[in-house]
Amino acid sequence: MAGDKKLKVSKTKMFLRIIFKSLKVRRNRVFITFFSIMIGAAIITALSSVYFDISTKMSRELRAYGANFFIGPSSSSGSKAIDLPVIEDAIKMVPPGKLIGASPYIYGVVRLDLGNAVMAGVDFAGLRRLSPYWQVEGKWIVVDFDDDSCMIGKTLAKNMELKVGDSVNVVRTETGFQKTLQIKGIAETGQAEDEQIFVNLTLAGKILGLEGKANHAMLSIVSEGMDIDGLASQIQSKFQGIDAKPIRKVSYSEGRILEKIKGMMALVALIILTVTTLCVMTTLIAVVSERTREIGLMKAIGADNKSIVMQFLSETLMIGLAGVAAGLIAGFILAQVLGQAVFGSSISFRIIVLPLTLIPSIAASLLAAAIPVRMAVNVVPAQVLKEE
Amino acid sequence: MKKIVLETKGLIKRFGSVTSLNNINIQVAEGEWVSIMGPSGSGKTTMLNILSCLDTLTEGQYILDGVDTSMLTEKEQVVVRREKIGLIFQQFHLVPYLTALENVMLAQYYHSIIDKNDAKEALEHVGLGHRINHLPSQLSGGEQQRVCIARALINQPAIILADEPTGNLDEANEEIILNHFKGLHKEGRTIILVTHNPELAEFSDRVIRLHHGRVEEDVRLQG
Repeated sequence: MAGDKKLKVSKTKMFLRIIFKSLKVRRNRVFITFFSIMIGAAIITALSSVYFDISTKMSRELRAYGANFFIGPSSSSGSKAIDLPVIEDAIKMVPPGKLIGASPYIYGVVRLDLGNAVMAGVDFAGLRRLSPYWQVEGKWIVVDFDDDSCMIGKTLAKNMELKVGDSVNVVRTETGFQKTLQIKGIAETGQAEDEQIFVNLTLAGKILGLEGKANHAMLSIVSEGMDIDGLASQIQSKFQGIDAKPIRKVSYSEGRILEKIKGMMALVALIILTVTTLCVMTTLIAVVSERTREIGLMKAIGADNKSIVMQFLSETLMIGLAGVAAGLIAGFILAQVLGQAVFGSSISFRIIVLPLTLIPSIAASLLAAAIPVRMAVNVVPAQVLKEE
Repeated sequence: MKKIVLETKGLIKRFGSVTSLNNINIQVAEGEWVSIMGPSGSGKTTMLNILSCLDTLTEGQYILDGVDTSMLTEKEQVVVRREKIGLIFQQFHLVPYLTALENVMLAQYYHSIIDKNDAKEALEHVGLGHRINHLPSQLSGGEQQRVCIARALINQPAIILADEPTGNLDEANEEIILNHFKGLHKEGRTIILVTHNPELAEFSDRVIRLHHGRVEEDVRLQG
């Protein structure tokens, strides 16, 4: 029987040939398994990519809902106003890149044509970044040296029968200051600002007789990754008579929202992984059931349990790796779609996402194979080979 | 005197309270062709399963090529099956997604070294040199059975065990397979054949008739 010439084929080559042919002949089942793993891996990739970006992105997103830091005179100072340069220096203590927007405020009551109103002196550029949620009819005031324009709240505009482009006379009785201002924009804020009139800080100081002063400042700071309480302490210890504090309700809510969203993402990933495992398991059980005679034959001609386990796990592993590779690509694309849809920006690729997707997906696939492989090992060749 | 390749001593197999094989004592010498016959339920298949180490006995001894298989673990039985036995089935049983050549190489793969030329030669030996790259579904029943014979022989087993090898074949293919068995016998192979077919059995050296799990008759035929 021995040939004149030997043509050896390596066991690995034969093993791979068996695996590939076995997968090829069951294209539909393989596709279902591949697709299940791919979907699972894609969702894990997408969620974990978003997970690592969400803190930064959500913090900035949540900053659209207004100020979260207050700087004002301390109650012990007995003063209701602070010097503007002090406030400006305090604002400069916010680490670079963390400040979304800030504006000092000075308030006073003025008389308009049809009645009294609260006037707020603000830094318009800072206010706009601080309150991006304001709905403005007309235009924002964009330059701080515009002493001829003002913005007013929607309720005040309605009560005073004013509209964009109208002129309004502003009179401060105490100082006798009088000026006619043109309304550049009408702001709808949903808050007390709807009943106020806004002018730049310098003009407000002149009108109210409080030049170079501010009652307080509001800041919008990205709290993620920084010690906001520590910042407050630093400001207070540097500037006497200053009270600096995070607006607890807002900062705390942000943290809780982030934690809840992250928790929910982890839960979704876990559910997807469980569903993937069940789907892969069901398919593999069907595959083993279809192949009992083949397994029985392999055992009859000399395959031991180790060979059977190796074959099934390798088949699962190959489908799993292909599924994860496709899932990583699909997941990253999905992450970009989510990023654009939710945050309006792309999601960065992070290398940590690779093991985070690969390990649970492959573990789930192999776990799913546990019962089918056990079924395969338990096949009794004498029984299955006799069946018609 | 020829070497005894296979021997059973007081072999008993029970399934629950049913005794399928009862006190079987046989010896098969090297190069002998033994046919096991008997009506359905006589214990032929159980006997073949035990002789091929696909099943274990309940009592007694089964010695194959000097190895007492009754003492072996499941893992050791696999090794005996792989090393000493060549199996041929009634329903052929080929791996459907592997070619004829690969099906033969599969037995080499589980046994030791895979040699493509040896596998090709085994197929040529059974007249399938031109069909080596065909899948089982592309082969006739007779051709599939010949692939099984090539697979059973590739590792030079001590014994060939065949279960109704012509049971699923037409007359023409039955004759081809019969001729192959005659050839194997001529080459000095030890063959144990379970069959209902007296025409096939008449070419063997001995016929063992089972009835209700006992050896009813053990007849040496005139060559």
